[in-house]
Amino acid sequence: MTPKDLDSNMPGPSAQESSQTAVVKLTESISRRGFVGGASAAALTLAFTSPTLAKLPVAAQAASSANFEPNAWISIAPGGQVKLIIHRSEMGQGVRVALPMMLADELGVDIEDVEIEQAVADTKYGNQNTDGSTSIRLNWEPLRKAGAAAREMLTQAAANRMGVPANECTVTSGVVEHGGSGKTVSYADVVADAAALDVPAEPTTLDRASYRYIGKPMPNWDVPDIVAGKADFGIDTRMDGMVFASIERSPTVAGKVKSFDATAAKAVRGVRSVHQLEPNTAFFRMFGGVAVVADSTWAAMKGRKALTIDWDNGGASENSAAHRTQLDGLVEGEGKAFRSEGDFAAAKASAAKVMTAKYHAPYLVHAPMEPLVATAIVTADKAEIWAPTQDPKTAKDRLVQLLGLKPEQVTVNVTLLGGGFGRKSKPDFIFETALIAKELPGTPVKLTWTREDEIRHGYYRSQNAQKIEAALDADNNVTGWRHHTAFTSLVSTFAPAMNEPSGTEVDMGMTNMPYRFPAVQLEKSAIKSDLRIGWLRSVCNTFHAHSINCFVDELAEAAKMDPVAYRLKMLGEPRVVEFGSRDKPHGQDIGRLRHVIEKCAEISKWGKADLPDGVGHGFASHFSFLTYVAMAMKASVEDGKARVHHVDCVMDCGTFVNPDTVRAQIEGAVVFGLSYALYGSITAKDGAVVESNFHNYPVLRIDEMPTVNVHLVENTKPPAGVGEPGVPPVAPALANALYAVTGKRLRDLPLEGQLA
Amino acid sequence: MAITFQVNGVERTLDIDDDTPLLWALRDELELTGTKFGCGMNRCGSCTVHVDGTARRSCVLPISRVADKSVTTIEGLSTDGDHPLQIAWQEISVPQCGYCQAGQIMKAAELLSSTPEPTDDDIDTAMRPNICRCGTYQRVRKAIHVAAAEMSKAPGQADGTAAGEV
Repeated sequence: MTPKDLDSNMPGPSAQESSQTAVVKLTESISRRGFVGGASAAALTLAFTSPTLAKLPVAAQAASSANFEPNAWISIAPGGQVKLIIHRSEMGQGVRVALPMMLADELGVDIEDVEIEQAVADTKYGNQNTDGSTSIRLNWEPLRKAGAAAREMLTQAAANRMGVPANECTVTSGVVEHGGSGKTVSYADVVADAAALDVPAEPTTLDRASYRYIGKPMPNWDVPDIVAGKADFGIDTRMDGMVFASIERSPTVAGKVKSFDATAAKAVRGVRSVHQLEPNTAFFRMFGGVAVVADSTWAAMKGRKALTIDWDNGGASENSAAHRTQLDGLVEGEGKAFRSEGDFAAAKASAAKVMTAKYHAPYLVHAPMEPLVATAIVTADKAEIWAPTQDPKTAKDRLVQLLGLKPEQVTVNVTLLGGGFGRKSKPDFIFETALIAKELPGTPVKLTWTREDEIRHGYYRSQNAQKIEAALDADNNVTGWRHHTAFTSLVSTFAPAMNEPSGTEVDMGMTNMPYRFPAVQLEKSAIKSDLRIGWLRSVCNTFHAHSINCFVDELAEAAKMDPVAYRLKMLGEPRVVEFGSRDKPHGQDIGRLRHVIEKCAEISKWGKADLPDGVGHGFASHFSFLTYVAMAMKASVEDGKARVHHVDCVMDCGTFVNPDTVRAQIEGAVVFGLSYALYGSITAKDGAVVESNFHNYPVLRIDEMPTVNVHLVENTKPPAGVGEPGVPPVAPALANALYAVTGKRLRDLPLEGQLA
Repeated sequence: MAITFQVNGVERTLDIDDDTPLLWALRDELELTGTKFGCGMNRCGSCTVHVDGTARRSCVLPISRVADKSVTTIEGLSTDGDHPLQIAWQEISVPQCGYCQAGQIMKAAELLSSTPEPTDDDIDTAMRPNICRCGTYQRVRKAIHVAAAEMSKAPGQADGTAAGEV
């Protein structure tokens, strides 16, 4: 593939990413709008209400023909009450605040007047998958245009009422004022009139200077409920007549129940019934097992422990040490090339020196604090689900197939998520709940996974090996770069034979390696896994950013240059490049990458910091999810363990909506990154996962928390990802800091145990 | 077997198995769902409640062990969600997903009862048992300091008794 230099002055968001979606929404709204005048007008609601999600089953019926609904997401009641449907899931990233901020600004109302309602799964909302750090960037244009369309219609209606031209009117807090006469008309008074107007095809969004909310910190409205213990997560769903389930699953993905004895389980007080589940490759490779249904969660768990099951393990045989040996062998050989520039072989043949490094990273699991849980009611012609899901639409579409129902017979409600990190976009736990509920028609069934279930039955970040080779001339200039990655593709979860890393996976941090070397050769190799592979926060960027940042540090040292100065030199002049799918649609702007590196060097006093004895300063930078991040980390080794003291981070995610949320996401990214850099490791024995809970899958705790200083770059570029891009630079910044104090290049993750 | 204990100041009697963890009694029997299930083996702190004023992991505490004792959950920490910690948590915007936060707050409330002006080290030591996977630790530290400062101002609270605790 040839790098493509793009115009660095590219205008705004791409048409294919967002405008088209907006048009679809707006067009759809024309046919759906069915305003009937004269409905009893509700008073304009001034108090902001944060609806409790558990009430969704009764609250999710708001669509009324009396409302002004200029599109699928926004409805304005005859009294002026604005309601925004939140079609993405809330898992701590603040989407339930950020989307209303965008609407309130464009619509010209006080944010306190925007009521929110969590969407059920429905095609009319388009993409509902809260994944890939897309909730803001994919909705930035369509949602603001939807708000602008509603504002223009309401303003026109108010102008008509006043008998003045609309273009002489301004809107403040839902009140339209005519500049010349000082006359005013409230939105609340012209909802019916506005609904009778045509939806503008090309509404004009406001100048950013007029925004009251976008770009300023806004508290998360769910916090008062959270701190009072009243916020309802998936695990908190409760219904009359509910029964509780727990499943003993096969230790291996392909495993099956040969036979089981439930006599002892059924003798446990409170146990009601026992159900066998078959594994199903076609449905996200869901596990087989035996479910115990009881009057309480505890009785179900006790009953489950009393089961005696004879398993057929399905031929699973993976052992981690052997898997690693196989991976290491793969990267020593030839892989399938996917980016080639220049002639690496020639560069290597004529090199004065060749530097080589091999990297290894184990499987990782998500471990959200709320384990997987769902509630279902299923009858012969209806299914309703309540679940902490990142992807309700996929869950619904597949439930339709799994249960043999019609789309209109299946409802998937979304609760708050107690963490997600990619795990809760996989609906296996929802399928299980629905299948149990199908055997108990009409009875609400809540299935709760234990922590052990979650750790042992995950969709893991792949185990990975990489080799990087650099050819250097006599002056230590790199003349060739060869990088080979080997891992199991997450596509294997959907098509078990598809193990080869896909384009989109290698494009995460490897294809788009930004440094200019005369020859570049990138290769990939496949390996079969007995585990289910999935996307985990930042996905393949986690291991690719690690190897590249660590090896670039080695090259800087060989060149006798400071690592930051070396990065800047090898990046070259500001320009926009595009290497692969993950650089679309805006390209990778080397100028912006340079800027975050330079700014991070400045705020971290790189090269000038007064470091105590034994403290090293490490640097890393990475572009992912269209966002640019640089990170400098101060770390030492104490009692054979890494100790991280302070992190400086500079992020350029383009336009940001809620800076407090963005900062929180970076603070959290540091914790997530340090957790896997220090401890994260899932291993397999005979095809089954060994680890089970936080004692053998440790994560960072508060006494290991460094101080985190975040600098956000302010610009008017299109919004980019926030939830994931902070993670990839963490591990390499730490490894580079530890090298500075130990002189050891630690190329395996996790680092725990290598420092003693 | 019937077990009687106080929950948030109200006497409750439950006829459940002795080995039922307090967590599941609170959640399934009493429908007090603010206390969360995270690990089931005393490793994450999501289930932290107070038993006679001491922070305990309800996921591994058999109901038989709280007979005749007084249990306080997040729902009973204050009357209107206005314990200084709950207020500080809002001011600092501590939670991300929020799932572990009730446990964090209950543990922090115990800390402030014994150590009204904690240092960062005091906080780290006391709060180490509580995992937050979203990574709110930096804000947890800050919010505890803010709450401590607020409580030190309030007359009658100087002994560290949690406001509103029953």
